[in-house]
Amino acid sequence: MDLAFIAAVFPKLLAGLPLTLSLAVLSLSGGAILALLLSGLRASSWLGAQFANFYVYIFRGTPLLIQIFLIYYGLAQFPALRHSLLWPLLREPYVCAVLALMLNDAAYTSEILRGGLRAVSSGAIEAAKVAGMSRPTMLRRIVLPLAFRQALPAYGAEVTSMVKATSLASVVTLMEVTGLARAEVSQSYRAIEVFLCAAVIYLVLVTLITRLVHWLEDRLSTHRSPALDRSPA
Amino acid sequence: MNPTTVRLTNIHKSFGRQEVLRGIDLEARDGDVISIIGSSGSGKSTLLRCIPFLEIPDQGEVTVGDETIVLTGAGHRFSRAERQKIRRLRGQIGFVFQSFNLWPHMTALQNVMEVPLHVQGRPRAECREEAEAMLAKVGLADKRDAWPAHLSGGQQQRVAIARALASRPRALLFDEPTSALDPELVGEVLRVIRALAEEGRTMLIVTHEMAFAREVSSHAIYLHEGRIEEAGPPQQVFLDPVSERCRRFVRGQAGPVD
Repeated sequence: MDLAFIAAVFPKLLAGLPLTLSLAVLSLSGGAILALLLSGLRASSWLGAQFANFYVYIFRGTPLLIQIFLIYYGLAQFPALRHSLLWPLLREPYVCAVLALMLNDAAYTSEILRGGLRAVSSGAIEAAKVAGMSRPTMLRRIVLPLAFRQALPAYGAEVTSMVKATSLASVVTLMEVTGLARAEVSQSYRAIEVFLCAAVIYLVLVTLITRLVHWLEDRLSTHRSPALDRSPA
Repeated sequence: MNPTTVRLTNIHKSFGRQEVLRGIDLEARDGDVISIIGSSGSGKSTLLRCIPFLEIPDQGEVTVGDETIVLTGAGHRFSRAERQKIRRLRGQIGFVFQSFNLWPHMTALQNVMEVPLHVQGRPRAECREEAEAMLAKVGLADKRDAWPAHLSGGQQQRVAIARALASRPRALLFDEPTSALDPELVGEVLRVIRALAEEGRTMLIVTHEMAFAREVSSHAIYLHEGRIEEAGPPQQVFLDPVSERCRRFVRGQAGPVD
């Protein structure tokens, strides 16, 4: 392996890092908001729950790559969309990629949130009710904080998987880390060196995120008894 | 006579086909300590839980302080105004659960401050000061920053009592407050409840601790199959009840004395 070549390629790929991060951050934040909305919908009515279940079924049941293709290539087939005010936005590959990643993330996150909500003990809720708490206060002060703590490990895994999933955005021409790597390979034909460099960048990112989530878990799980810490649920 | 704090009128409640409460009337005046006894399945916990609408009675009338809610039949749908009324009614009660039900993500002090601060909207400094006083009252001033999971059952229950007191309730309701505790922890909780009774607080206590109930209460009620079978001063209910069934129950609970 040519170390000088790797040293030269590394900074080139790092130039794609801001785009990778912005894809991840935007789609994760949008996905989190959508997931909260889906949870609200699920709790609101039978019809709302059916819709939320169907949404999750579709987005978890199909490949993310297909979802990206459908949004990027598919939307153009609708003349109404093409002539709408949104078109300048929707024809942007960046917007399409964020949209697909976000919609996909929302499906997974809403399921994680659902598991967290189910784990909130009925005793904690009764204690809140009997104190005369309104529903919004109960959600904000009791239910969501407890659900969030419960869901944190699973959500951490979702965050890392979304960071890795941003590499799919390269198929719709985005020059994030993977996109730059592919371009570099097509010029240099040195696939091993270039893709290994890209892999290392993702690995470092994922490691940092995992550390952060663990640190957060430790901070927030002070309420568990020492004996229960780190034991499987 | 002291004003009425809690009044239940003709309370009925069924779970499916099982009729758990069959027309209960009960009145607690200011300063009363009423113990409610009965075998398991007699409906005593359900009765207590009907007061703050943790169980919704099918029929009857519930009054706490100056809030009255009238139930007209099973499956009653509450209007917005009625739901707010229920919340106000709950605000006048302190409820202590069998299994403590502290909020596990808050320290002892945060548990006690939560309702005054975030439901009643009182100033933070005042809430903190009062919460610390309440914890001191139950003998846990030094545990203010402990997480519930790090406290013993008896300590958790005492924090729960401090939490119930912190909202300045008109009445305290205890639902078998010592049933989930190891025997050696029962005493510390009963001592706290006894001190509250001596302060003249209005309390309703569902309990299996017969000797304790006899000592602290001003009235006692024996429930059987959803009806009040015996009611009166504790000397009567615990020592010389009219009802033969109640007599057998209190003898049996007291253990084989003779």
